[in-house]
Amino acid sequence: MTASPRTTEVVDPVPGAAAPHLPPASGQCTVQLLTPEGDRVEHPEYSLDIDADELRGLYRDMALVRRWDAEATALQRQGELGIWASLLGQEAAQVGAGRALAESDTAFPTYREHGVAWTRGVDPLHVMSLYRGVDNGGWDPVATRFSPYTIVIGAQCLHATGYAMGVQRDGAEQAVLAFLGDGATSQGEVNEAMIWAASFSAPVVFFCQNNQYAISVPLERQSRVPLYQRAAGFGFPGVRVDGNDVLAVLAVTRAALQAAREGQGPTFIEAFTYRMGAHTTSDDPTRYRLASELEEWKLRDPIARLKAHLSRGGLADAGFFDAVEAEADELAARIRSGTVGMPDPAPTEMFDHVHAEQTPYLAAQREDFVAYSASFGEGVER
Amino acid sequence: MTHSTSELRSFRLPDVGEGLPEAEILQWLVAVGDTVGVNQPLCEVETAKAAVELPSPFAGTVVELLVEAGTVVDVGAPIITIDVGGGEAAPAGVEPSAGLIGGAAPGGRTAVLVGYGPRTTEARRRPRRSPGRSTDLPRVDHGSGEVPRQPPPPDEGPPLLATAPDMRSKPVRHGGLEVGRQAEAAALRGAAAPAQEAPPGRRGPRPLAKPPVRKYAKDLGVDLATLSGSGPGGCITRADVDAALADRSAPAPAAPAAGGAREQRIPITGVRRHTAAAMVASAFTAPHVTEFLTVDVTRTMKLRSRLAARPELAGATVGPLLLVAKAVLLAVRRHPMVNSSWDEAAQEIVVKDYVNLGIAAATPRGLVVPNVKDADRLALPELAVALEKLTETARAGRTAPADMTGGTITITNVGVFGVDTGTPILNPGESAILALGAVRLMPWVHKGKVRPRQVVQLALSFDHRIVDGELGSRFLADVGALLQDPGNALAY
Amino acid sequence: MSTETLTIARALNLGLRKAMEDDAKVVLMGEDIGRLGGVFRITDGLQKDFGEARVVDTPLAEAGIVGTAVGLAMRGYRPVCEIQFDGFVFPACNQIVTQVARMHARSKGRLPMPIVIRIPFGGGIGAVEHHSESPEAYFAHTAGLKVVAVSNPADAYWGIQQAIASPDPIVFLEPKRRYWEKADVDLDAIPGPLFASRVVRGGDDVTVLAYGPMVKTALQAAEAAAGEGRSLEVFDLRSVSPLDLDPVMASVRRTGRCVVVHEAPTSLGLGAEIAARITESCFHSLEAPVLRVGGYDTPYPPSRLEEEYLPDLDRVLDAVDRAMEF
Repeated sequence: MTASPRTTEVVDPVPGAAAPHLPPASGQCTVQLLTPEGDRVEHPEYSLDIDADELRGLYRDMALVRRWDAEATALQRQGELGIWASLLGQEAAQVGAGRALAESDTAFPTYREHGVAWTRGVDPLHVMSLYRGVDNGGWDPVATRFSPYTIVIGAQCLHATGYAMGVQRDGAEQAVLAFLGDGATSQGEVNEAMIWAASFSAPVVFFCQNNQYAISVPLERQSRVPLYQRAAGFGFPGVRVDGNDVLAVLAVTRAALQAAREGQGPTFIEAFTYRMGAHTTSDDPTRYRLASELEEWKLRDPIARLKAHLSRGGLADAGFFDAVEAEADELAARIRSGTVGMPDPAPTEMFDHVHAEQTPYLAAQREDFVAYSASFGEGVER
Repeated sequence: MTHSTSELRSFRLPDVGEGLPEAEILQWLVAVGDTVGVNQPLCEVETAKAAVELPSPFAGTVVELLVEAGTVVDVGAPIITIDVGGGEAAPAGVEPSAGLIGGAAPGGRTAVLVGYGPRTTEARRRPRRSPGRSTDLPRVDHGSGEVPRQPPPPDEGPPLLATAPDMRSKPVRHGGLEVGRQAEAAALRGAAAPAQEAPPGRRGPRPLAKPPVRKYAKDLGVDLATLSGSGPGGCITRADVDAALADRSAPAPAAPAAGGAREQRIPITGVRRHTAAAMVASAFTAPHVTEFLTVDVTRTMKLRSRLAARPELAGATVGPLLLVAKAVLLAVRRHPMVNSSWDEAAQEIVVKDYVNLGIAAATPRGLVVPNVKDADRLALPELAVALEKLTETARAGRTAPADMTGGTITITNVGVFGVDTGTPILNPGESAILALGAVRLMPWVHKGKVRPRQVVQLALSFDHRIVDGELGSRFLADVGALLQDPGNALAY
Repeated sequence: MSTETLTIARALNLGLRKAMEDDAKVVLMGEDIGRLGGVFRITDGLQKDFGEARVVDTPLAEAGIVGTAVGLAMRGYRPVCEIQFDGFVFPACNQIVTQVARMHARSKGRLPMPIVIRIPFGGGIGAVEHHSESPEAYFAHTAGLKVVAVSNPADAYWGIQQAIASPDPIVFLEPKRRYWEKADVDLDAIPGPLFASRVVRGGDDVTVLAYGPMVKTALQAAEAAAGEGRSLEVFDLRSVSPLDLDPVMASVRRTGRCVVVHEAPTSLGLGAEIAARITESCFHSLEAPVLRVGGYDTPYPPSRLEEEYLPDLDRVLDAVDRAMEF
């Protein structure tokens, strides 16, 4: 096939070693408000009014989330969790997006949005329980307005669109934020979600964290065009933002959510970021990416740049950073002890929520199971 | 840090990548006496790819570095000891592991991308509680449909393992199956009141029986609806069918009929009915030919008293029947075709290489033909015992159904009634039957002179489809020769 | 008492209308259901009366229909999805199996899925490929789903309303070849439970089980059998999952013989599960094994051959004969 698509950028389908997954040069169709060095910059379309308290709050959010993530990784290595999907490197994308949500907005995460969970007030232990294998997520999705984690790639996008269609019917001024990754953009259902969102002008924003890899498969295999340009094909705006810039993410997401609330329909946000860790804890990234790539991205760390900005700008002192560190230690200790001490669920729980109205056959099966379990000696391990 | 108690933990070298069996400790990042925190890097280890830092699973004080830097260590070997007393630590027995896909994971598992990974299992059942120990949870009535056995003895020993002795408390295997059992058990309990189950105008529930029992009853002409079952909930068992067969031979009280008191009507049931059917089947299927032979058995009768005196036959009845049986068994060896049956359905003659010797017996319930299994393998004393037992059991009316089937050749002793001979009818499924008459003192030509000798008549009926005249004659002649001169047995 | 003679199609239409009148949260979604009124006219006239927000002409995307229904249900709505034909449900299977069926368990009851997925199913309409399928076994085998198959106008009228009112997700199967068959429906009746089987003809010799389009076939077979001196007891199972087999077991304990009929291929169809359960519970009453009459284990054939493929009266009675011969 020789015809090439007529777009402004076409990505080489076979990534060369010379072009590891670095972010596009600043300003080139990418919204940035805080440079990697920690300097504030302006953008013609997006601005952010933010005070020192909020800035310090964003730093605290990201630092605590990173500490939670590190503790969880360690706990997995120690056999306390079955796996852990680390968000290392994506703190700004998630905290920025999460803090853009209004109280009455609803978020539909994938399975890595621990940073968003944090902003929604989800107890970290309710996420740990999923990765420990105790349940499929212990938080109340209605109270937190944070949908259950969805392991089937992209399935949540249709849920988000449908939910947004419900918001429309309620006439409520609310928006819905659907999270997805770069790999998910290849799923048919994700594309269906965007078709529906466009056709019905649903108040849903698609927030795609392009962390460059779907397990080991690089972005180039998912798409020949930059992801934000996909939206044009569906008929709604697409924006690329520096995913490691919490201020840009916050600004862009706020704007998109507001547009949705006002009835202007969906937006596609591509947060260009990097998955610093492995896909999950037993993945070995050294098999498919170069260490040099990782080193490049370390220079673009989301937390470091905000710390630099706060320090240099006199917006936070050593006492503040120490306090955050102490808070992080405390959080880590609580997560550790809460995880290690987490009891296994009662085996009968398997039967208890299959239906809202249980069937007689299942009730009988549950009884049989109880009798069967009781027939074994006490304290006998499998 | 001062500790009131000291608690030492050792950290074993984890598999740091791809199942490598060993790694080199490049350098230690801590020293003895250092306080370390959880996740603090303890050392650098070299893998095939790069140097990897190992994080500490424990918080505490380094007590000992067990391996020198620069040493190659096996995975699983302890490399450092940390005193975690008074401090926060990971739970006992938990070792950190850098387990990558396919590598070792905590808890003896193998690491996978998406969870804890598979664990190894053993070929061993989990110990069960002994039945009878009370639990708070409801026990399910399993109603297996088997005849209930004795309850188990009180639990005195170690917990029971796989084979629970009491079928009734056999543990549940699978929810679905058990739901079925519950329902069946409930149905069996409920079957005691069949009338309540049927909707108006509809037939009531069928009698309960397992499919093999149904077929057994059908084959023997027993109507299940006329029986009451001894199994749970009135389920009819095979034993019930057998009992019905045996019971029904008792004649019912005579019912007065049109002929008044001068006629007695006896219902045709049970053994008589079954026997009659068998006879009819045999007589009108197999073309019967009967051959007769009169034999001077004086020598055999003399042998009889000598045999009876032998220690191995002490207490046994050594009568003509025993010796004729032995003669028949010997003769069958030479003429196996007489020990066969005609399989019409398969269009085959089935020649058996075993002899289940049937003895026709008159019993209070009628004629039965029990057989001794593998009679040809029995030594004479064993055969004597078997025949005696068979006759006694038959007279008492307690012959087991299994003993009445499978016969291959039969002897009918009409001599006990003082009768000389007859034309016996084949037992169905067999192709020869020998009638033995009474042993009489008769004038006989013996060594050229007329002398009184003990003489008996043998009559052999055979299925002419299988046994032709020559075979039948030769067989009968061989039996006769053995009885005329038992020494002939040495030629066999 | 107001009784009307209705076709199944009309009964569904009236039932949907009633459900939408009773609950403003009921939203219908499907391809061509609005302006066209549905390819079988089941939703005829509803968009005109209830508006485009409640009767939605969706894009051509079955996964989208069911996936957005999940979101709507999470928002408190009661979506009723129409899958235009049985053979086109498969793109939606991911959402049905991994999301609709599990959301309640996943959220420990906080996110119920009161979704109805209506599917015209079964063959016998002389159609091209993919329009004559019987996929009920896939859904009955999926924990968390309930599956119902109506066979007559009264069950259609009441059943669709009950299904919509249920807090659980229900795959609602409609026998498309029977859509135009009429019967009386008492519109003021108090309906029996949705997940219950029903005896539709009493008998003594063999218990015959059917659902959906095969109920009529079974009843016609019973009529023919009566002419031969055989008395068949016919059940309309009505609920495919959960199965209501207690009344069936009582019947088999009287007749000793059972035949199950469905259009779906015999292997691993509902008949296999029913046979297993009946054998477990009625073992001591069985005169014959439970026999199944189903489609052959082939893809549904081109329409010129479908009469050879589909179970019909003769195939049912042959099975009855075999059961009697044991």
